[in-house]
Amino acid sequence: MSGDILVTVGLALLNVAVALLLAPLYEGIMRKLRAALHSRIGPPITQPFLDLAKLLGKQDLRAVPGKLYAAAPALTLGSVLTLALLVPMGTRPPLGGAGDIIVLLYVAAISAVLLMLTAFAASGPYGAVGGSREMMILLSVEPVLAVTLVVGALKSGRLATLGILDWQVENGPTMSMAIAGIAFFLALQAQAGKLPFDVAEADQEIMGGPLIEQSGPRLALFRWALWSKQLVFAILLVELFLPWPRFGVFPADLVLTLLKALVVLVLVAVVDVVNPRLRIDQTMGYFTRVAFSSLAALAFAVIGM
Amino acid sequence: MAQRVSELLTERLGPAVRDVRQEPADTLRVVLDKSAIRGAASALADGLGARFLISAGSDRRPVSGDFAIEHIFSLDRDSLFVILECSVAPADPRIDSITPAVPGANWAERESRDAIGVSPEGHPDPRRLMLADDWPEGVFPLRRDVPYDYQPPQADARPPRVDPPSGSSVFVMGPFFPVLEEPAHWRLFVEGETIIGCDYRGFYNHRGIEKLGDSKLTYNEIPYLAERICGICGFIHSTCYCQAVEKAAGIEVPPRAAYIRTLMLELERIHSHLLWLGIAGHIIGFDTVLMQAWRIREPVMWMAEEISGNRKTYGMNTVGGIRRDFPNALAPKLLEILGKVEKESVAVCNAIAGDSTLHARTRKVGVLSQECAKRICVVGPPARASAVAIDARIDHPYAAYDALGVRIALQQDGDTWARLLARLDELLESIRLVRETLRAMPAGPIVAELPDEIPPGRAGVSVVEAPRGEAVHYVVTGGDNRPYRWRVRAPTYPNLQAVPEMVRSQTIADVPITLGSLDPCFSCTERVETLDVRTSRLRVYTHDELLRLSRREVTK
Repeated sequence: MSGDILVTVGLALLNVAVALLLAPLYEGIMRKLRAALHSRIGPPITQPFLDLAKLLGKQDLRAVPGKLYAAAPALTLGSVLTLALLVPMGTRPPLGGAGDIIVLLYVAAISAVLLMLTAFAASGPYGAVGGSREMMILLSVEPVLAVTLVVGALKSGRLATLGILDWQVENGPTMSMAIAGIAFFLALQAQAGKLPFDVAEADQEIMGGPLIEQSGPRLALFRWALWSKQLVFAILLVELFLPWPRFGVFPADLVLTLLKALVVLVLVAVVDVVNPRLRIDQTMGYFTRVAFSSLAALAFAVIGM
Repeated sequence: MAQRVSELLTERLGPAVRDVRQEPADTLRVVLDKSAIRGAASALADGLGARFLISAGSDRRPVSGDFAIEHIFSLDRDSLFVILECSVAPADPRIDSITPAVPGANWAERESRDAIGVSPEGHPDPRRLMLADDWPEGVFPLRRDVPYDYQPPQADARPPRVDPPSGSSVFVMGPFFPVLEEPAHWRLFVEGETIIGCDYRGFYNHRGIEKLGDSKLTYNEIPYLAERICGICGFIHSTCYCQAVEKAAGIEVPPRAAYIRTLMLELERIHSHLLWLGIAGHIIGFDTVLMQAWRIREPVMWMAEEISGNRKTYGMNTVGGIRRDFPNALAPKLLEILGKVEKESVAVCNAIAGDSTLHARTRKVGVLSQECAKRICVVGPPARASAVAIDARIDHPYAAYDALGVRIALQQDGDTWARLLARLDELLESIRLVRETLRAMPAGPIVAELPDEIPPGRAGVSVVEAPRGEAVHYVVTGGDNRPYRWRVRAPTYPNLQAVPEMVRSQTIADVPITLGSLDPCFSCTERVETLDVRTSRLRVYTHDELLRLSRREVTK
């Protein structure tokens, strides 16, 4: 029993380390790729680490007094790390016993909600517009995420992420899971705040939106949380929708998962580079259509395809 | 046509027409009693379809004891400029406003009031336009008795603010905003993200260039100052100025100089349109277009450097021709670079032509109707994208354009996408024009023999089609080897006046690209204007009203 706890703690540390340390590296690779497609040399792939180090060393400036506002960046990063514990990375999720896909959905929304609250708290017009855009995106993307995960639950008959994963490994690709996977990928693009869905930050329109009032260590933690979130979502995507091949050997499965996540993020970066930004109304219209397509996946799942 | 104009004006206005002369050949000057000015302007605009260019106010007190107000019109199909000139007595410095008849004259008349102190009576919007908030009342900088280095006392004048319509909130863009390259202060009144009105303050870049031209610099020093009016279309302004002086003085530019001017003007259009394409992409978050367009543009800048010694601000123009010959040995290299630019530009065009996301962001965005474009006298690609067929290179041929023949890039829809297509067409046409120029460039001298003295009292109007639209320079010659009056109108000056109509009912996200699609130079701007979309009423606040409103707000 104590050995079991030790393994769980070890897995938890590993998942957190992946989310914290690998995320900036992957972001660096995405930046490099973006630069290459721009015909630029681009920054070194370690640039996100350097950015974090620099920002963390700066003065902590707050636009609003109050404990919640002060703690918001740390809470945001914390919520993403909790999310990492709910996601399988090569083996069972360390907190799998504590929650299923429903808990996962709630935890995933926390970071966006906190970002939104800090934006509204500072009561600047750019932050307010960015915050309301963030909320609209959350409202249109969350149903897509929910439906795609429910497709998995329906197919496998289980609500736990590990259950869906195991069922996928056992039964191989299906039509409904493929459609759900594509919908999940589009939702990931929006969750990561990448073009064409980076409307909430939209530098050229609202100068970073919810992040405009943030600087120094606060900005560092928010950025770090966003990078970790995009990686955790990419891992969730490959684990639930593309778990093949599965060796059953933990280190090999972990490495393969991380490599597949990198491929997914590279795709995210490519989509980002070849698109201009949509307007918020267009973004919501787009995800309404995606939500309806993912309902088709649900229908396929019901008839067993 | 000149005959018809003078007949029409004489018929409508009778003895109020004092004098009609045609000198130089493309300019008809009609001297009127000031009481007849609105009737004359209306006859020209409505009766003959003349397009308003600009007004020039001059202080002629040292010469003839009066102020002069000149309204310059263009009859595009007949390559004719018409100047309506009125004398205004200093004892009664007022003149009827022509804005009620010609809405495009709005800013120009206000600027004459600011600079010379002749107030347009019956102007719908008679506020200060170009002077700073703390500039003292009653000091008119372009009057001859105000020195060019006059420093007004410092005063505490805050920019006037307007209350947003009830239920809306204010979204501020500027005075410094990331995607506006120059200072311009927009306050957007929004409900959610939808714009229901806007409020604008500009003219932060006013540098007193015209004043320097008629009080400090000499004829052949001004081209260098004119070139610095704009950081992108500098050569356009120096060419336009030189042409105006050449017309006034009757100087014939040698053919080779005309061809070299054409070459440099078109190179400027090529790099400016590529620059614009990149910025437009950046504004809607499409940085790939920004990076690729600017990469394609860069060799053109290097070529300009090889030809002139500078990437920008070539310093090549002089009155009577060109100071620096084009080395014929560079032609093959230039052609090779143009070939590459053309190929890569076409590749970019093809890549973005079918991009549905790009269409979503530019189609039906910032629509400028043909009617509005004509009413506000919009120029350049924004006009052509709204199916207004004007192009200074065709309507008033200058340099070597007569021999080359320019194809006009017309579009019908008047939206941001149409403006993009118009500019891409022009880019390719410019490449063709440079090739033609190189093929046909004659040998010979590059600068004309100048007369010992340019006689005073002559006038010349010159237009040049800049990448942003038509630039206008008007020069009246004077003594002391310098102009008596030098009037400049950059293309953004009329174009910016169309913005309130273009952003009406759009969302915040559309404003940057709508503004950007005009390719604006904010140096020539406005003060405070509010527009209530629901009533479509233009409400104008004076400084006192604003102060009263804001005090009421504070003491509430």
